Amino acid sequence: MPNVPVSFDTHWINPLTERMHEDGPWDKWELFKLALEAEEAMAVRDFDQLQCLKYLPQLTPYPHQMETAERVLNDMRGRAILADEVGLGKTIEAGLIMKEYMVRGLAKKILILVPASLVIQWTKELNQKFGIPAVAQKKEYMWRQHDVVVASIDTAKRDPHRRHVTDIEYDMLIIDEAHKLKNKRTRNYQFVKEVRKKYCLLLTATPIQNEMDELYNLINLLKPGHLGHTSSFASNYVEGKRQAKNNDALRTEIEKVMIRNKRSDGGIHFTSRRVQSIPISLTAEEMDLYAGVTRFVRDQYRSGAGGFNSLALITLQREVCSSKEASFMTLYNMHQRLSEDSPLRQEIMELVELIKRIDTHSKAAKTVELIQQINDKVIIFTEYRATQNYLQKYLHDHGITSVPFRGGFKRSKKDWMTDLFQNRAQVLIATEAGGEGINLQFCNQVINYDMPWNPMRVEQRIGRVHRLGQKRDVHIYNLSTVGTIEEHILNLLYEKIDLFEMVIGELDDIVERLSLSQSLEESLVQIIMDSRSSGEMALKLDNMGQAIRAIRQTKPSPSLAEAADQ
Amino acid sequence: MQQEQVRQFVERYLASFSAHIVESHPDYLTVKLPVEIDKDIGNRPFYWSWVEKMNLAYQPLVLTFAFHPDRMPDGLRAEYIHLGAGRMQQIFASTKKHGQFVCMYEQTKSVWPSSGTRRSTPLVPWLGLNLKISLLCDKKRDILMYLGINLHEPRIVHDFTSFLFRLPLSPAIPDYFYTLDRRITLSQAVHMTQQEVSRVLDLEDQSWASEARSRLDEELAILQAYYDELALREQPAEEEIEKEENEIKETVEAMEQVEAAPPVEEQDGTASFDEYRSSGGRILDFLRANGIPMTPREEINQQEWKKSTPQEERQRRMDELTWQYEPRIDVNLINAGLFYLHSTPGLGRIL
Repeated sequence: MPNVPVSFDTHWINPLTERMHEDGPWDKWELFKLALEAEEAMAVRDFDQLQCLKYLPQLTPYPHQMETAERVLNDMRGRAILADEVGLGKTIEAGLIMKEYMVRGLAKKILILVPASLVIQWTKELNQKFGIPAVAQKKEYMWRQHDVVVASIDTAKRDPHRRHVTDIEYDMLIIDEAHKLKNKRTRNYQFVKEVRKKYCLLLTATPIQNEMDELYNLINLLKPGHLGHTSSFASNYVEGKRQAKNNDALRTEIEKVMIRNKRSDGGIHFTSRRVQSIPISLTAEEMDLYAGVTRFVRDQYRSGAGGFNSLALITLQREVCSSKEASFMTLYNMHQRLSEDSPLRQEIMELVELIKRIDTHSKAAKTVELIQQINDKVIIFTEYRATQNYLQKYLHDHGITSVPFRGGFKRSKKDWMTDLFQNRAQVLIATEAGGEGINLQFCNQVINYDMPWNPMRVEQRIGRVHRLGQKRDVHIYNLSTVGTIEEHILNLLYEKIDLFEMVIGELDDIVERLSLSQSLEESLVQIIMDSRSSGEMALKLDNMGQAIRAIRQTKPSPSLAEAADQ
Repeated sequence: MQQEQVRQFVERYLASFSAHIVESHPDYLTVKLPVEIDKDIGNRPFYWSWVEKMNLAYQPLVLTFAFHPDRMPDGLRAEYIHLGAGRMQQIFASTKKHGQFVCMYEQTKSVWPSSGTRRSTPLVPWLGLNLKISLLCDKKRDILMYLGINLHEPRIVHDFTSFLFRLPLSPAIPDYFYTLDRRITLSQAVHMTQQEVSRVLDLEDQSWASEARSRLDEELAILQAYYDELALREQPAEEEIEKEENEIKETVEAMEQVEAAPPVEEQDGTASFDEYRSSGGRILDFLRANGIPMTPREEINQQEWKKSTPQEERQRRMDELTWQYEPRIDVNLINAGLFYLHSTPGLGRIL
């Protein structure tokens, strides 16, 4: 071909000459034919068509994932930002692209940089789902010894690792959670810039709410100069910190390097969420405890007399909505911390007396009833260890099998518990959303035993089961004890702002857009602690709900989000 | 490759080494691996070097290949074998290793079997070359080319294998036949092959290469403009550099709190290790010589960090672009054979 250099391998000429000279040793005819057939099976006949699926008989990607892989290969030439919304399978897309380049013999040496907590999960997924022999980097020699290495970026950037990494030419570099590289002044950013790479994938679920500069920096990492120099970028496209101008032009440029699949694009079917509030009436004794603790908490919160920190008080207030066991531990600890002559000791002892007087547990009883009625796998979420332990015993006493699940469990124990839940137990009692990569899609029943005050945490809980792969509608039961804060929160916040009805991931956008996630919880605490009557509290919460709804309905004027999103 | 083809391939491969099939079921196959196969696909190089060094009797590996993993009986330990399975790729590599060079003779009944007079018949020497031609840029396409070169009366035919596969061939020369001289040498044949390859490539669609070139030029131009502007606009103010350096210093200090890397461990066997072993080297020496030593603590220096200059960065990015896009063609040999034939191939596919 004109001007295309041809390298003709000649290493075989000498060995063949030798054998011709010696008349042997010759190989078997059958093996000669098999070797040829093997090459025929593996030859890449086409520049553009995906080859990797014939090597992955156990994987059935979704159409949008296939399409993404094809676009990255054919249009973006292997350098892209994968920015699908949460839950659409960015890892699968990255795996497909990686496998494709490997199958074509275009990538061999591959580095995957991820947050430390995801190293093992990535390694496992690449091996199991894609048959890619990836290893988790542990020792210094592994940088050179292994072709596909998964490492934490914080390790990789440190000497002596850095020297190896910047020395090696990587056919492919993949970075998960790439939005953490938004600041070009950080060491991480500069380190990634120094890595020699042919193909490059940056994975992130949230590039959009970033400021204009941050998006610019991310793209500049992938393709320096793609959006021009900082100052020309600013004058061409930037209106304000988070405001873009020349949307169409900017969109075109961004589309050349970034793919963002959205749930609303259709084609991806998510089942519905069915939400139900389960009102629970407390017994007189339980109500006494609730009222007593609430009074105690407010008095202390306002006067500060006992020297308790406000966090402990807020925790106590939440715990009493969950179970008497949860609040007992905190009361006990408070008691121990007070000096022996403190009058508050007596007050706390009185509260403990109230606990002792309770012999029913209305919430737990209702839960058992609910589980029996559901008659299927159920996940119960609670915020508190004490509640978790109590529930496990309570369910056991009622002949219901359950396994616990905590964030502190090691990965292997998490897997084991998931396995037990799938195959042996009816109920999983979890104190946290379970962390990434625990797949519980085989279950479609969720009980929120108590309610976090941060809506993101609720979303994470539901996200464990309501994701790609869930084949049934997801049922969510919110337990709400009548006449308590819990009821207020549930009514006024979660129901007013339709939290549970949102599509997966929509909350991400809203919370990010309003910078809610921290302030929301803080305002809640403030309202609950400072209101002098429950009427006042109800009113304030109602106002807050309306404010959020109002912001949610108004679309921000031409923003980066739209520019990149459409 | 469909599962049926996978199975046939595996069976033929095993049969070539006269492997002992323990059980053959429509859904799976249990086999006791012969030594050669074990060494190629058994994943136990250290076991083999130990057995050989100590002169021990070896325990053959017994594997069960599942062709339909969903139909396995309970309790049977089987591995799913399919085109993408690691073991299948090892089998492919093994066939390539053991099926590289052959020498075969055509078996025909003597053309003049007249009684009494023993007249010999000549066989013509052919060189069969199976080539894989890879067109590479940021993408790739393979062309498989099976050439036959007449070494007696120099000429080249295409699609040589499909002609060969129709002939009765045997590794021994049949009675009453003799072979004609090879009039051209191997290197002359190689030269002819190279010419033929470039002739065919010239007829191929060239657009992939020109497109790759223009992509490369486009990207290089963007890069050039960017770094030119960078150089022009950013004469970074002194204090900015200082600030940056301070920031980095802080990170460095923070990082130094973190513990140094743990020591290096022994490594797994590698291809180069096999080569080393077969030339009679000691394992321990190999590990000493080839282990990647742990960087001694005193050489670890978090301060050493320095950012590339814009020039270095530009050069690196340009190199990356060329690496990614530059069109090139690799021609590799799949396998080759010497064939003594009585029949004559047609001209084959005219290109």
